[in-house]
Amino acid sequence: MERILTRAWQVPGGELSLKLDPLSSLFLIAIAILSVCAGIYSVGYLRPYWGKKPLGLHVFFYIMLVMVLFLIVSANNAILFLGAWEGMTIVTYLLIIFNDEKPVVRKAGFIYFIASHCATFFLFLMFFLMAHISGSMNFDVMFRTAFSPFLAGMIFLLALAGFGVKAGFVPVHIWLPHAHPASPSHISAVMSGVVIKMGIYGICRVLWIVGVLPHWCGYLLLVIGVVSGVLGVLYALGQHELKKLLAYHSIENIGIIALGLGVGMLGRSYGIPLLAVLGFGGALLHVVNHSLFKGLLFLGAGSVIQKTHTGEMDRMGGLTRSMPLTSALFLIGALSICGLPLFNGFISEFIIYFGLFQGVFGLALPGVIFCSLGIISLALMGALALACFCKVYGVVFSGEARESVKGKTSPCLQNAGAPVVRGSVAEDTSCWMLLPMIVLAGLCVWIGLSPQTMARLTFLGGAYLAYTDISSIDLQAVFVPLDMVISSAFIFLALILVFFSIRRLLLGPRPMPVRSTWSCGFSQVTPRFQYTSSSFARSIIDLVRLVLMFRRHGGQATGLFPGKTHMSSSVHDFFEERIFRPGLAILTGLSKKVNNAGIRYTQLYLIYIFLFLIFLLAWKLK
Amino acid sequence: MKPELLVLLSVVFHWAIALLCAPLFLGVTAKIKAFIGGKVGPSVCQPYFDLARLLRKKCVYSSSATWVFRMFPLVAVAAMLVLALLVPFGASKAPLSFPGDIFLAAYLLALTRFFMITAALDTGSSFEGMGASREAFFACLSELALFMNIITLACLSRSISLSAMLGADVPLSWVSLGPVLLLVMASFFIVLLAENCRIPIDDPDTHLELTMIHEVMILDHSGVDLAYLLYASAVKLWIFAAILVTIILPVPTGHPLLDMLIFFAGMLGLAVLVGLLESSMARIRLNRVRDLLLIAFVLAFLGLIVTLWRF
Repeated sequence: MERILTRAWQVPGGELSLKLDPLSSLFLIAIAILSVCAGIYSVGYLRPYWGKKPLGLHVFFYIMLVMVLFLIVSANNAILFLGAWEGMTIVTYLLIIFNDEKPVVRKAGFIYFIASHCATFFLFLMFFLMAHISGSMNFDVMFRTAFSPFLAGMIFLLALAGFGVKAGFVPVHIWLPHAHPASPSHISAVMSGVVIKMGIYGICRVLWIVGVLPHWCGYLLLVIGVVSGVLGVLYALGQHELKKLLAYHSIENIGIIALGLGVGMLGRSYGIPLLAVLGFGGALLHVVNHSLFKGLLFLGAGSVIQKTHTGEMDRMGGLTRSMPLTSALFLIGALSICGLPLFNGFISEFIIYFGLFQGVFGLALPGVIFCSLGIISLALMGALALACFCKVYGVVFSGEARESVKGKTSPCLQNAGAPVVRGSVAEDTSCWMLLPMIVLAGLCVWIGLSPQTMARLTFLGGAYLAYTDISSIDLQAVFVPLDMVISSAFIFLALILVFFSIRRLLLGPRPMPVRSTWSCGFSQVTPRFQYTSSSFARSIIDLVRLVLMFRRHGGQATGLFPGKTHMSSSVHDFFEERIFRPGLAILTGLSKKVNNAGIRYTQLYLIYIFLFLIFLLAWKLK
Repeated sequence: MKPELLVLLSVVFHWAIALLCAPLFLGVTAKIKAFIGGKVGPSVCQPYFDLARLLRKKCVYSSSATWVFRMFPLVAVAAMLVLALLVPFGASKAPLSFPGDIFLAAYLLALTRFFMITAALDTGSSFEGMGASREAFFACLSELALFMNIITLACLSRSISLSAMLGADVPLSWVSLGPVLLLVMASFFIVLLAENCRIPIDDPDTHLELTMIHEVMILDHSGVDLAYLLYASAVKLWIFAAILVTIILPVPTGHPLLDMLIFFAGMLGLAVLVGLLESSMARIRLNRVRDLLLIAFVLAFLGLIVTLWRF
């Protein structure tokens, strides 16, 4: 099952040791598929930048990123891992700031950079702690070391702090909604699909190394998953910038993954192997699934943004007519991310639900309560994600264009009553951009309709994390229901076909009359009368406005003959506005005070550094 | 007989129950409403006549609508038929039954909802957008209550298969589980009303587009498509009612004919109850629907607490 490659390396404590095991191979699959797809997509996506931007450099960084990602998941040594980890941070930063002439992009990159580095601090602490106890930087040696419960808990907390920032757990997710919209779409796809998954990989690796964790760790991860999932999707619902919305959805999906991992940990610490394998396996399957459908959605969003030159959903509309293929592919992504049957999201959520119910049946009272919480939140996340993606698909692709689109290929802005050109296939996006999306959508459907292969692979990873032998567990308990789900899905498809034929038979071959939409006798004055993304989500946002910080500016009509007025509304991140901004302001104030009180000259700083180095040297030599 | 043939026969029989009787439920409800209102009212078979009339008509499509709009009626009716296979009707056991089928059922409903909302937004009408927004919101709340009930029933029956959770296979007796069943029943009844757009949450008969939820979303469907949709919603109501009746009347007498009779009597009773409720109260204000659904959630939550208490 495992392959290890070891070579000597000059770095102290380091060792060029690479390992392939069921856990890393799953992540490798996700990285390989998505990075190739996004790479092909970038050929079409970057075409407008030819000759204007140093594309060679961009491609170089992209390849570097893929290599570094491979290195992270296969590293078997803490030093190598940390090196690759830092490499990933830097290269990702360089890729994010592709459009560096925009201040907002530079700011987003900076936030990402700072957040990542703060997180890496905890990783250093964690790995050095583990190395200190086990006496080696090698993961295999660490794996064989027994950690005391207290230290195991400490290590777990440090891992949560360090890897959680990269993964985007609430409340340390704040870099994500900035970085994803700022970067080019293929980079957002890779970032959301695999880079943030490295945080999940890190947690999994630590779970593998530290075998015996206190019970509360599992509960903690489960609760983090629930909080991240529900808040992530609620914030997503409040957004009207397409890529920012998708970024918040990544937080939601990371929450679902963490939920699954939490269930797996509960199973492991209470000694129920089936529960552990189901939890870990479901989470790992969701890792792969999320990289597929989120990659697809980000690539689709990129095509839309390239065409409309805006990310504001409330300015789009009716794009199905001008980009039919992109629209259909985006729909597949949307259905997958909502976890609907026929698509891959359903399979992983099904397994996680299954695990949660196993927890309800098999655990003691606290476990039952937490698993019930997980079930309810997963259901809520599903319903909210559905609302959110109905909104995205409905506002962006359905209905009428809300504004004429700038650029060459503008879908006609219809005047009231003007006949509509139906099915006018304006040029869809280039085939370089469509092909990878077709591949990703195909994989989503493949896993959705024949999940056995992928599920077996992920259960192998799950069993590896659960420390059990896959053959000792009765996995038929899951595979038989999965088979039944698939056969129901085929019955469903067959029924659709049947009813389609009946309709065809009843209506005859002639096309049906097409009239303008019935609007209760009041014909539509302008397409901007349509429901927008903000108005669609308004009632849900209102219910949870305490956490969401909904703000509305203007829009009040005054006087008897109100004139023109403007209205804008936005949803702000509670954690960013109420915790990080004030907290950082206090920190900045403090450091300014320290700075003012102390030294003013650079030379003095240098002397201090020099003295400190001498001190370290002397300490080491003693 | 070959086992495959038997399975096929049971599927056909099961479908036949749901497909033939579903519109009757609506007919009975309408008749009761008319009776309470002091009118003769249409015949109980009126829903069948409506469907037959619509099936003979052609469709008119909106100029802004795309293929999603045309897809929705197919998805709706196909999903309801698959759903009908998962639910036991009296002595007729569910042909499709496996651990976890309850998630398939819930997510098939969600799939239909996805297409319903996108089809509504596809027309570009602000009325339908309004309905879509409300539907999405209320669905979140009713989903919460629904899953709470599922957990309770799963805890009681130690199973996650719909057939095993309900009815004949479980000794869900009113003697020992009275309070829990009462709470689940009340909560599920509200969910039933909400999911099927009945008074007091939504009014299926009104033509005031501004206050409707479900009806406003299918304003632009016509002819065969509308027939499909009406039929799908009738089957949906039938399925929800069947689940509720099986929760209320868990009396496995062992005799199939008697079981079937009890089931149909229960369905008739429920149809009358819905009719009585609809004629005795008005649609509640839209911003109170939220509270009603939260009440359903709280009832289900209490049911779970009582269940866990018994452990």
